[in-house]
Amino acid sequence: MATAIATPELEPAPTRIQQRSRLLPYALIAPGIAVIGGILAVPLAWLVWISFQHYGLKELINHQGEWVGLNNYRTILADPLFHQVLFRSLLFTFACVALTVALSTLIAMLLQRVRRLVRVTLMSALVFVWATPVIVSVDIWQWMFDYEFGVINYVLTQLHLGNFIHHNWFDNPLQGWSVVMVIVVWGAIPFVTITLFAGLLQVPADIVDAAHVDGAGPWQRFWHVTAPMLKPLFLIVICLSTIWDFGVFNQPYVLLNERPSADYFTIAIYSYRESFGVTQYGLGAAIAVLMVLILIVVTLFYVRETVRVAEIA
Amino acid sequence: MNLRKTWLGVIGVGVALLAAACGGNSSSGNNNNPANETGTLTIWLMNGSAPQSVVDGVNADFKAKYPNVTVNVELQQWGDIGTKLDTAFAGSAPPDVVELGNTLVAKYAAAGALEDISGKKSSFDNSSTWLQSLTDSCTVNGKLYCVPYYAGSRAIIYRTDLFAAAGITAPPTSMDQLLADGQKLMTANSSDPNFSALYFPGKYWYAALPFVWDFGGDIATQSGGKWQGTLNSSSSQQGLTTLANLVSKLSRADKTGDEAKQDAAFAQGHIAMIIANGWEVGVITDPKAGNPALATKLGAFPIPSHNAGQQAPVFLGGSDLGVAAKSAHRDLANAWIQTFTDQKNMSQMATVGGVIPNTTSLLGLGQGLNAVFYNAAKNSKFVPNSENWANVENANVIPDMLVKIFTGQQAIPDATAAASTKITSILNGGG
Amino acid sequence: MIIPRAAQGVQVSRTKSATGAISFAGLWHRSRQLLFDALGLAIAALMLFPIYWMVATAFKPGREILTLTPTWFPSPITLQNFQDAIARPFFLDDVRNSLTIVGVMLVLALAVGFLAAVGAARFGFRGRTTYLVMIIGVQMVPLNALIIPLYLTLDNVGLVDALPGVIAVYLAAVLPFMIWTLRGFVANIPLELEESAMIDGSSRFGAFWRITFPLVAPGLVATAIFSCIQAWNEYIIAYVLLSSPSNQTITVWLASFTTNHGPQWGPLMAGATITGLPVVVFFLLLQRYLVGGLTAGSVKG
Repeated sequence: MATAIATPELEPAPTRIQQRSRLLPYALIAPGIAVIGGILAVPLAWLVWISFQHYGLKELINHQGEWVGLNNYRTILADPLFHQVLFRSLLFTFACVALTVALSTLIAMLLQRVRRLVRVTLMSALVFVWATPVIVSVDIWQWMFDYEFGVINYVLTQLHLGNFIHHNWFDNPLQGWSVVMVIVVWGAIPFVTITLFAGLLQVPADIVDAAHVDGAGPWQRFWHVTAPMLKPLFLIVICLSTIWDFGVFNQPYVLLNERPSADYFTIAIYSYRESFGVTQYGLGAAIAVLMVLILIVVTLFYVRETVRVAEIA
Repeated sequence: MNLRKTWLGVIGVGVALLAAACGGNSSSGNNNNPANETGTLTIWLMNGSAPQSVVDGVNADFKAKYPNVTVNVELQQWGDIGTKLDTAFAGSAPPDVVELGNTLVAKYAAAGALEDISGKKSSFDNSSTWLQSLTDSCTVNGKLYCVPYYAGSRAIIYRTDLFAAAGITAPPTSMDQLLADGQKLMTANSSDPNFSALYFPGKYWYAALPFVWDFGGDIATQSGGKWQGTLNSSSSQQGLTTLANLVSKLSRADKTGDEAKQDAAFAQGHIAMIIANGWEVGVITDPKAGNPALATKLGAFPIPSHNAGQQAPVFLGGSDLGVAAKSAHRDLANAWIQTFTDQKNMSQMATVGGVIPNTTSLLGLGQGLNAVFYNAAKNSKFVPNSENWANVENANVIPDMLVKIFTGQQAIPDATAAASTKITSILNGGG
Repeated sequence: MIIPRAAQGVQVSRTKSATGAISFAGLWHRSRQLLFDALGLAIAALMLFPIYWMVATAFKPGREILTLTPTWFPSPITLQNFQDAIARPFFLDDVRNSLTIVGVMLVLALAVGFLAAVGAARFGFRGRTTYLVMIIGVQMVPLNALIIPLYLTLDNVGLVDALPGVIAVYLAAVLPFMIWTLRGFVANIPLELEESAMIDGSSRFGAFWRITFPLVAPGLVATAIFSCIQAWNEYIIAYVLLSSPSNQTITVWLASFTTNHGPQWGPLMAGATITGLPVVVFFLLLQRYLVGGLTAGSVKG
């Protein structure tokens, strides 16, 4: 990656000053590329390299795998479990991102309309959520959804929403995934909300007011005035959320006592299980590579748009 | 590999300056006098496996013999320990001594991570009386790869007061009687919607195995180098049918949960019996998180067999100590293990640590309730001793099967057949 | 985190929306305001509940924690769990390690990230699109899949079980996001501001330093907070890379509350409360600066 950028250009020799300012951007981005490349390039290359090998624990310890070409990929792509997990991960990601962005937008708009005291309270609440380590918050959630000691079962029963005494939330995968979604969205809302709120503060009030005077309703005002101005923000938020939610690991992993059954695999858990669970590092690496490729396809539109907007800016 | 080497070289130069400060360990003095040995031993023990006072005692004993060797005991966490071990063994300097759960040893031994210590067996105290199941766990293809460390076996912990209140005068001595007594308890406590006579979480497969074994079933058998899953054999199914009946009539525990919370649940007072390790008595009566008031109301009895008067074979859990094949101080590492597992320190593990020591010669140390658990260890069994067994565990085959049976998602013949097929495939090296 | 839209020459603060005179419209406004406020507080309560549950549990005596009927308020309040947590070995070591790792990582990341962001925002150059795509693409690689190669790479240069190794990994993990976000902030500051300063006789660097840098400061704060949270809370990399207890981070220390028979809830919740505290304080201290600075900084006529 780095070498492509540093390739000398075959153009007429520029003057000294021109040359300096032409090299300046490269000088500025060089340390970043050096750090990211220096630390991640070897591991990434290793990952891809291993995905073409039969690589078990013995091979790992001796650092010597056996080249099997595309076999790992063939195995994975032929595995019905992979298709299941992939389909589920995509659905889950879509639902999470949609829910996160929708709720965050609403909360961000609400933040604009509430009293100062309420705003500070709500912002602080968001900050608290954001600052809690995921491994801790998942523990708390697991306990809140617990079968016998869970406060949620207790409250739902007390509210007469049904008999939730000894209700198991993970018996039925659909219900279990809904719980996972609640936790993921809960954790994602602070970042997205605060980002969108900061963006909303910069939407010129007079434009929105003008639309108001012109008789546009709140929905139209949002859709035709505010949303387009926040487009770059929405793009990047959707893009990052997709990347993060597709890679969800900790929530289902910890909720199911670090031993999730296949019903609760995400792609990331599947890859991790193949690697460290059954010591098929080659297969695990192939899944990880496929995961990145799929992610690229899924986010292609957003990345292109995001970069395009960035290029204009 | 060339690509990798080149890259490593490039990076290496850049970061070598940073690394320069970190020096390596010195090597052993090539001399038979322990006082001349030098170096640093790194030892990984699991969080909570041995009391700090015992470890300190071991290190003091070791220091007396090897005054110039530094010993670093590093406690590891349970979460993701497999990941940490895999990476450490792949690296250039894994820990010299490592504690491994007994079902994990075969995997690491077969991959060449552990030193073959067959020739040194007699240098360890009590090696002729080591618990058979633990020795089995250390033995791969006829070679010894680790030293038994401690064991845990399960029995039933019960509430004497609840038994008395339900009119039960003596602990049950057969599975039928266990069911009958359990039903008496359920009736006597029918007003409590949270009450379980025998609290049995669905994924608790360690506690399910005794039922399979008692009827003559097993997880898998080996013949001619090939494994065959046998959970679907008629005797295995008979055991599981008996268990499923007990669970459906006596347990209100989470049918899809595991046993991690059972002691806390027991301490809350709505449970008459749990299948547990000896040390769990301490967790139940812990003055901070448990209920010390229960201390005088607890009893224990072995899991009864379906043959009246006998006891069912139990799963022998526990840990072993191995020496990393890549260790630079393998002799010192073995010497440390010799100290840790000697007569004196093993007695300490039993009396202070409350676990079952690695040798039958010390089983007399079990006092009070502990005696029941020590006795249970005498009639114990182990999982199939295959390098691929860890993969069966990690694929959750047995817990998933149990959940399907207990929740009624699958009939016992179907669930056991599916599990057996999977176990056969994984043990024979398939996915 | 915040990629502000260029919004030159515009009045921003519109939070004090019209609260009209006493009239029907005024009444409507007021009741609507009340509704919004109530909704805001309800959302805050919902979001906070798990955190409240953690803190409340931390103050409960052991036996009150796992009960079939939950107790909503700790009573009696006990500090026992906090004492137990702090008394656990290596607490101070691990806090110090976490602070070191996050601190050093932040300084390096901000410096490198800021330069890279300026390069990408202020200059057009060949390969810029590739560069931007790469910055986003790098974030798609699951870190868990890189555990082994990262370990082996660091092992090769002797940085296993050493803080610099973890710092390097975290640095590479947060930089892409940081560069991307800062790029948005820098791009958002009108170039005209710098140019006018240059006309007034400043050098290009001087103009940049005096005009642009202060305006980007909120962006630096925002990305710093984000990266700080990421690094402070990371577990698996730190656990695998760092072995000696005195070298570990606070999240690995927290994991030691979970034994083979489940978590010790009281001390774990107390430990988690203590762990979360520095991040929350850091955030709350900078929060006003963050949002306030944004509004003030991004718009100058």
